[in-house]
This record gives sequence, C-alpha cells and structure tokens, in this order.
Amino acid sequence: MSAELRRARNRQMIIFLLVCLAMLGLLGRLYYWQVLQSHSGYRLADQANAEHIQNLILDAPRGLIFDAQGRILATNVVRDDVYIEPIQFAQDHPDASQAELNALVHNLHQILPAVSEDSLGKAFNSGRPTVRIATSIDPAQSQRLRSLRLPDVFLQPRTQRTYPAGNLAAQILGFVQNGQGVYGVEGKYNTLLSGKPGSFTAETDLNGNPLTVGASAEQKAVNGANLTLTIDSTVQYMVQTALANIVQETQAQGGTVVILNARTGAVVAMAGEPTFDPNHYGDFADKKGCLGSEDVYFNPALYCAYEPGSTMKSVTMAAALDQKLITPDTTLQDPGYITFPDAPTVYNWENRGYGTETMTGVLEHSANVGAAYVADKILGADRFYPYLKKFGFGQTTGLVSPEASGGYRSTTSADWTPSDLTRQAFGQSIQATPLQMAMVYQAIANGGVMMRPYLLASVNNNGRVIATQPQELRRVIGVDAAQQLTGMLVSAANFNQQATFPGYSVAVKTGTATTQGLDMDQTEASMAGFVPASNPQFVILVKIDRPQTTIYGGTAAGPLWRSIAQQLVWHYSIPPDQA
Amino acid sequence: MYSLEERKGATFGPAPEPALQPLRTIRRRRQLHPFFFRMGPVALCITSVLLIGLMAVLYLSQVGQAVSANQALQNMRAEQTDLQRQNEDLVNIIAQEQSPEYIEQNAKKLGLVPADAKNVQVMETHNLKPIPKQDQTIQP
Repeated sequence: MSAELRRARNRQMIIFLLVCLAMLGLLGRLYYWQVLQSHSGYRLADQANAEHIQNLILDAPRGLIFDAQGRILATNVVRDDVYIEPIQFAQDHPDASQAELNALVHNLHQILPAVSEDSLGKAFNSGRPTVRIATSIDPAQSQRLRSLRLPDVFLQPRTQRTYPAGNLAAQILGFVQNGQGVYGVEGKYNTLLSGKPGSFTAETDLNGNPLTVGASAEQKAVNGANLTLTIDSTVQYMVQTALANIVQETQAQGGTVVILNARTGAVVAMAGEPTFDPNHYGDFADKKGCLGSEDVYFNPALYCAYEPGSTMKSVTMAAALDQKLITPDTTLQDPGYITFPDAPTVYNWENRGYGTETMTGVLEHSANVGAAYVADKILGADRFYPYLKKFGFGQTTGLVSPEASGGYRSTTSADWTPSDLTRQAFGQSIQATPLQMAMVYQAIANGGVMMRPYLLASVNNNGRVIATQPQELRRVIGVDAAQQLTGMLVSAANFNQQATFPGYSVAVKTGTATTQGLDMDQTEASMAGFVPASNPQFVILVKIDRPQTTIYGGTAAGPLWRSIAQQLVWHYSIPPDQA
Repeated sequence: MYSLEERKGATFGPAPEPALQPLRTIRRRRQLHPFFFRMGPVALCITSVLLIGLMAVLYLSQVGQAVSANQALQNMRAEQTDLQRQNEDLVNIIAQEQSPEYIEQNAKKLGLVPADAKNVQVMETHNLKPIPKQDQTIQP
C-alpha cells in the first residue's frame, strides 16, 4: 500500500472515530434525557403525560328529596358563573380604545343588569388573569352570552342545589353549602345524598377533549340516593302559613307546630317561625330563632326546649292512672293553693279555688293544685320519675341534628329538691322540646304505645328502595290508662271549647308556662292533643312564644290548633265521629 | 479434465508458465427474491416506498375517521350535557309549579278563596252505606 493511500486510510479512520464519538455523545445525551430525566429531576414523562393525559373527576349528582306525595322538595340545577379575563383582553386588544372597552362593558351590562357598568369597567382594568363578575345567572342570560361570543368572557357551569318550594319545610330540609349538607335532612343524610364521585382518565386532544382512539380508564360515578320524606307539602304549607299569621296577630316572638301520625309516629308536618329560604340561606345568617338564642337554621321543634306548662299535667295523670292510684273521678279539695312541708306553696292560676274537684276537673280547670297533689301526695318521686323517663323526657329522638334533649332534675340529681317534684307536675322546672311533648300525646293517642318518630319514608339508592317501617319504642302506659286519660282530655276540650269544632271529638290540653326571672305575661302558650279522639289519626302540638295580645295557651294557641285540626280532617277525608 | 490424447502427448517435466493475459470477468448482478419472484434492488426500493406510502395512507385514513368520530362523539356529549341541563331546569320549573304556594297564588288570581271553617256544616245521615268499589261484590 502506498504511503498516500495509507495516509488517506488513516484520515478516514480518524474521521470515522470522531463521528463515532459524536454519535456516542449524542446517544449518551439521549439516554440522559429519555431515561434518566423522564421520571426524576425534570420528570419529563410526567410533564408530557400531564399535557395530554387528563384525569377528570366525575361529580355524582346529589340525590333528590321528595315529599310523601312525590313532589320535589330539593333538586339540582346547573347555573353559570361569568368570568372575564382582563389580562388576556389587554393582550388580545393592545390597541383597544376606551370606546371598544365601553362597548363590551355595555353589552355585558345589557345582559347582566345586576352588574353595574362601573364595576365591570373596574374589573377589566384590574390587571388580574380572571375576575368573576356574576354567579348563578339565569339560563336565558347564559344563552344570550353564549350567542354573543363576547371576547375574553367565559362561562363556568356549576351545579347548585335548589328548593323549588322556597321556604317550605326549610328547617326540616336544611341546605347545602359548598357541596355538603348542613342542618336538617341534608345534613343528617349527607353521605347518602352525595353519592360517590367517579373518575375518567384519557388522552386528550388540543382542546382537552378525550380521544376515543387513545387509552382511557373510567370509574363511573355513583349517583346520590333519592329520599322520600313523610312530610305532606300541602299540610306543611298550610301549617307554616297559619303559624306565621298567628305569630304576627298575637305579636309573638315565634312559634312551633308539630304534627305526627298518631299510629305510626311519622312526621306529617313540622314548622317553625321565624324560618328562612334555603335558596338564599346566606341572607338569613343574622336572623335568630328560639327566642333569639339560636340561628334561624335550627329546627325549633327539635332544638328549642321550653317549660311545657300545663300540657305536662297529662303525664302526671297518666302516671297515676297507669298505676291505678287514681281514676278520672277521684276527688281532692282545691282551695286554690296547696302547701308542702318541704316545698313552696303551689297556687292555681290567679289563685282560683275549685272546691271538691275530680281528676278530670283538674284537667278541665288546668289546676296546678291538683297536679302537684297527685305528684307529691299520691305518686311520690319514686313513682313519678320513672314515667318521665318512659315518656322520653331528657332523651333525644335521633330524628335529625342538631337536637336538644331537654332535661329535668330528679332524685338522682345533686341539686334536686322536693320543689322540683311539685313544680314538674304542672310543667315547670322541666325542659322539653316540642317534639318530645308531641310524642307524649302520640303515646296517649296510640293506646299507650310510643312510636319512634321518623321523617324518612323511603330511600331509593340507584334503584334499590328501602322503606321505613314504623317502630314501637316502648309501651309507656296501659291501654286502660290511655283510654281513661283520653276521656279526661276530651272532657277538658269540651269544657273549654277552645279547640273543638263541629263533627269531631278532640282530646287536648292547654299550657301556659311562665319563665323564671321574666314577667308573668311572658309565657309559652301551647296546646297539645289529637283528633279524632275516638280513633286518633293525628297528634298536633302548637306552641306560641311570648304572645302579647293574649298570653294563654287556649286563646293564643287554641285557634291555630283548631284550624289545623279542621284542615287535616278535610284534607285526609277523615269521617266525622260525632254529630 | 485432460483428454487421453493430451495425456499421451504430455511430456514430463515442469509445465511451461502460461502467458499473462488480462483477466476479464463479468460481474453478475445479485438477484433478490422477495415474495417468490426476482426483483432488482431498485425495483424493490420503489415497491417498498409505494407499499409504505399506501400503508401510511390507509393508516392516516383510519386515524382521520377516528378523529372525526371523536369529534362527533364530543359534539353528542356536549348536546347530551345541554339536554340534561334543560331537563333539570324543566324538572325544577315543574316542581315550582306544583308547590302549594304557587298553586295558592294562582288560585287567588282565578278568584278562589280559602274555605272558611265557620261555613262548614256537618250533616248526620243514619244507615248510610259506603259505595263499594267496582271489583267488590255487594254484601246483602
């Protein structure tokens, strides 16, 4: 081989080696970026996946709430929030004149009159990437905005809870805040109503739309369960309206009504005044209920414990009748007061004396003397307090949260005195919620058997329906005692004529409770009972808080009780039981 | 092989060196045999390019159809979402119009008034039998 050829071959070899070296270098660099950096450091593989693989959360639609007749009380709708992009607008229209901006602002204001042009102008000049200018706009407004295709304005859909009947049963339903139920049924059954969100992972195109040809994985969302309540919307509306009217007429601070099915314990209606509109719950944040002590969102039937007053006398009589210690015709001497060696003297209202008085007469006259006599002289603490427990005082029902338990001092309490016994006999020194008092009369109406109160008639969980069965809590008093007591309450109703109406027998007891530390005219006026007395169908409790025009249970709560009872028997076509 | 005459005429001793002559060879083209028939490399390249091009066209056609289908699916999903939204709005409107407050307001507009309990009369009718349902036999 000649020297020239050898030199040429050597040059070739050197160049070849240099090229090989360069290739090796490139390969090494490739390995560095493709392998080493893909899952660590810059995490390039993850970044690439993040750009074209998206994981979407599939929201589960919240379950609907129906009333007993299948009418919707709570449902879901999608409403748009309106956003503008001020920075993007400035970039897209660098030479935009004030006139162009004003035109855009004017167009927006035409569609969204609630947003002033001034605030829109400020929003566009805010220098922020996005600004929300309106929330939950009407579908018509959404449609107009979409059709106009305004620059740098976009709509963000959002599912929101809506209550088509307004404030109907608001304190029973509660409301939804940030996707979570609070208060009432929405709060207690939030997990059932929420369902379970799903997920959808897929490769996406430039616009973020999932590709059918790409890999995808989906886990379907589980829809929230639909709930059917025991509430009758028509009765609920009638009760709410009538209660609001009475509270206004009597210049009271508030009121509560509870209606139970006497046989099953189902809650037919439950109203409180004041109330709120769950569609705009935020507007009521400063409003108070429960005589100004709690937010208006609390259900007063479950949370506002009060001293039940003379409606408690039925419990005292029930305890004595059940233990065969008295009969409706057992008599006592009632001079208008009764003294005790170890407790303060108890007086009748306005110190009225009734002479020789039967136990039935004690209820007719609502005589404190008779009740205190029965509790202290006939029953005694040992035979009185077990009945308070059996009747459910001091215990929650578990219906919905929040719920108060009320309470009372008994012989096991450190600060109990005999005065508690004498006063508890006629409903003082004891706290009970309106629902607890309604349950007392439900037990009496149901032959002495107390039923568990319930609001949920059935649950439809994606096709699987579970209906609530009425459940006996316990037998409180015997059938005979219940019948005797019913007769006494009918007699009391007929004696006072405050709750009676043609064609039907009613069994009621009034209550006028004072509050310690307040004037005697600041009362909790109530009436509790059931109709028809011969075949009880409904238990009704009405409580008016601090009425001013008339302070007594019979005159403040009585007219409303009668009106509700009449409406109920008409609505459910209950035949009359007396001429 | 040498013939017998050549062998007979062969003399022993070192063979004479043949005269150097220029070597001529004919290079034969390599023959390739793809697919059971002979094809030159140029033809093979051209054929391969054509085949690859055809496959690419087919592939792109399929991808294009998939993309169109995807777009159509997206449009249908968007339409479904819109219809679902409309349905929810209509359900809400129906629920509003079934609410007792709405019914009462419209009843008042039509001139109806709430029933007054004072005007209710209860009539006592003796020996009144209920009307039996169609599927029940009347008991004597």
